[in-house]
Amino acid sequence: MDTHEHIVKSYEEELSSLNNKIAKMGGLAEQVVGQSIDALEGRDPDLAGITIQQDEVIDDLEKEIEEQAVVMIARRQPMAYDLRQIMAALRISTDLERIGDLGKNIAKRALAVVGEQQPKQLMLGLKHMGELALGQLKEVLDAYIERDADRALKVWYKDEEIDAMYNSLFRELLTYMMEDPRNIGLCTHLLFGAKNIERIGDHATNIAETVFFLVHGSPITDQRPKGDHTSSTPVPIRSAS
Amino acid sequence: MNLAIQTDVKERIETPAEGLEEKIAVHHLNFYYGEFRALADNNVNLYANKVTAFIGPSGCGKSTLLRVLNRIYDLYPNQRAEGEVLLDGENILKPTQDVNLLRAKVGMVFQKPTPFPMTIYENIAFGVRLYEQLPKSELDDRVEDALRRGALWDEVKDKLGASGLSLSGGQQQRLCIARTVAIRPEVILLDEPCSALDPISTAKIEELIDVLKREYTIAIVTHNMQQAARTSDYTAFMYLGELVEFDDTTQIFTNPKLEKTQDYITGRFG
Repeated sequence: MDTHEHIVKSYEEELSSLNNKIAKMGGLAEQVVGQSIDALEGRDPDLAGITIQQDEVIDDLEKEIEEQAVVMIARRQPMAYDLRQIMAALRISTDLERIGDLGKNIAKRALAVVGEQQPKQLMLGLKHMGELALGQLKEVLDAYIERDADRALKVWYKDEEIDAMYNSLFRELLTYMMEDPRNIGLCTHLLFGAKNIERIGDHATNIAETVFFLVHGSPITDQRPKGDHTSSTPVPIRSAS
Repeated sequence: MNLAIQTDVKERIETPAEGLEEKIAVHHLNFYYGEFRALADNNVNLYANKVTAFIGPSGCGKSTLLRVLNRIYDLYPNQRAEGEVLLDGENILKPTQDVNLLRAKVGMVFQKPTPFPMTIYENIAFGVRLYEQLPKSELDDRVEDALRRGALWDEVKDKLGASGLSLSGGQQQRLCIARTVAIRPEVILLDEPCSALDPISTAKIEELIDVLKREYTIAIVTHNMQQAARTSDYTAFMYLGELVEFDDTTQIFTNPKLEKTQDYITGRFG
């Protein structure tokens, strides 16, 4: 619906600068997530270190966006679609900042497990889950840039796949830990890594909700299928025999 | 444009809101300045004890519509209204309508404060005497009550004999509102009441609107989008003599249904 330009050019410029900052922040968040998973999988401490530092830039951008949004609300008194654009920028920047933190956390775990022998199949599962989350993030950021609510809605529905994957990884990790207590250290790190990726997927769906609201001015009314059941999964107790 | 949205908007304009009393109902109103049609088939409801804001670019017909509601246009030659304006179900456009009685029921405050060149006391008492014969003590009470309702009493109680013109712009405007209230109207029409006032006086008038709506039905014309958003319960957007969109104020200013409305309120009109 955003077809006409503002009569006041500087207002238009401020809105597009806000938009560009989100795009930049989104690009960085993608990078941090991608690299952190690579670092974990490849046991690459250098890449993990670089990734941890990159998160700071994301944090700075969030503050910048927040400041600009507050100034714009105070000075422009935005209405309707403009107001939604500013609110969306605020909310998305918060999600992206959290995504950056989660990526950083995965990178830290990569450093912690550098010397450990990693079971291939598990790492493959984790990597695949990471790729899925990263794909979701890319897709939802494109939906934001294009103001495409339908694309955002697809991301929203697809989160279930990540949840399902997390469930199966959770079970697998449990099995490894039960097989040999020496695996517990590594598996705990991997479990948190997987949980972080799952959370990244959740933030991507938050952004999808924001994009939908930005375009339509109303929230998504459908119920999203919840796929993460790990919090209610009992731990099987091994028989004493 | 999407037909469903258009139908929805039309319905919103023509169907009265549920559970609210229609104080004024405008049906198929056309207004002419000589040959020029300034209002084209307007429909709108003003609900009792609610504030309805009229917004739109200059010349869109907001003030004209307000001027029809108390037939003040009658004072000018070559101006005529066609259609129906029901005040409590009675068509005020009928030729037999007593316009003085109508204007007592539907009071009006203008853009520029228009105090009479007389004392503050007389500014209020003058109108009251036109409609009622009150003993002095009762008239005094009425003047005090009106000035209190106009949020002006504390500032003028010690100088009721001073000229109305000696007051500041904001005080003069509140004097005009007090003068309107003194007649005990049912509807108050405010035509850009704050456009010549500073922010503090504006805030006082907005607070006054908030208080007054408990007892009166209020219509306000304003060019200040934020003021419309702050003060009103319902908002009507007008353009080129047509009533384009009417809805809850929250809806209009957060998510209007029509692109034209959005372009206007966000300053994108081209």
